[in-house]
Amino acid sequence: MRFIKVILIWLALAIVPVAGWCGESASGEASEHGLPSKAVIVFNLGPLAITNSMVVTMLVTLGIVVFAQLATRKVQSVPSGLQNFAEWMVESLYGFLGEILGDKLVKKTFWFFATIFLFILFTNWFGLIPGIGTVGWNALMSDGSHEFHPWLRGGNADLNMTSALAILFFFMWVVWAVQANGPVGFFKHIFAPGSDSTGVMKWFMVAIFLFVGVLETLSILFRPVSLSFRLFGNIFAGENVLEAMMNIVPWLGWLIPLPFYFLEILVGLVQALVFMLLTAVFTQLICSHDEGHSHGEGHAHDH
Amino acid sequence: MTPMFAEVTGSLHVGLAALGSAIGVSLIGMKAAEATGRNPGAAGQIRNIAIILAALAEGITFFAIYLTK
Repeated sequence: MRFIKVILIWLALAIVPVAGWCGESASGEASEHGLPSKAVIVFNLGPLAITNSMVVTMLVTLGIVVFAQLATRKVQSVPSGLQNFAEWMVESLYGFLGEILGDKLVKKTFWFFATIFLFILFTNWFGLIPGIGTVGWNALMSDGSHEFHPWLRGGNADLNMTSALAILFFFMWVVWAVQANGPVGFFKHIFAPGSDSTGVMKWFMVAIFLFVGVLETLSILFRPVSLSFRLFGNIFAGENVLEAMMNIVPWLGWLIPLPFYFLEILVGLVQALVFMLLTAVFTQLICSHDEGHSHGEGHAHDH
Repeated sequence: MTPMFAEVTGSLHVGLAALGSAIGVSLIGMKAAEATGRNPGAAGQIRNIAIILAALAEGITFFAIYLTK
């Protein structure tokens, strides 16, 4: 009996988009269009152009701020409700990052990693809400044609956003690295040989480690690029996959994207996790001193 | 049959890069599952390493995509 009810509800839900599709095909061509790679400008705030992905970014930020305010309005020693949820999130993130960064470093850098994780996660998931990217207006282009512009667009489906995150991390990384090692120690960490050999062997090692240091510098400089491209590529590709699946069989447009929505929920979580994990590991690698380093390595070999 | 291959256009290198990173990610997944089976106590650490390495392996695809004309 319940099964039949479920089927009936599904059928009822199916009628809505089918009806929509009939209306659309009656009005004209059902044109297939992917997500444009550039965010469109919604309105201008003086000289500052506000794009639709910036609007989503601000909405998500506002949501997180409002949630944090509501959760910590009446802090109780025995938490319940929103405060409990917020504490669970922050505590599990702190424990997770503490395993990677170590006790001292996590205390210093937790604010950054927790913030980017929560921000990226909620931006990714916010972009999956139906209506974002599909509700918009038909803008008049300069050549007289009409083009569909959505009001909202997933925040991380814009390379500007992900580059901003990656560049901010790179800046913080340099600051933390110099604070932990000192300006000389920072370059020593990259270029100086680790072994204590003597004589001719020593100079040989110095030359090799100088070369290794150049390679290391290149890979460090490439980190922000790969971080931003990875996040942008995943989210942008996800949005395009959803749109393609919606258009692949027009009258099944309500069913085929469903599994991909679940995939995108997973991808949104994994990409937020990857961004946080990679940045945390990069920070740990440069900030760990000799004792922390040997301890970490010994730990890795023991198991 | 002969002119068909000559007519292959578009981003062949993206496909090749995707193939490579797919193989890479699957090897990482295989070994991570194996390692978890061998030492369930280290599941958390293995998961972290696997996620990081999988991200690095799949990153190649995005470089290939952005190098497309």
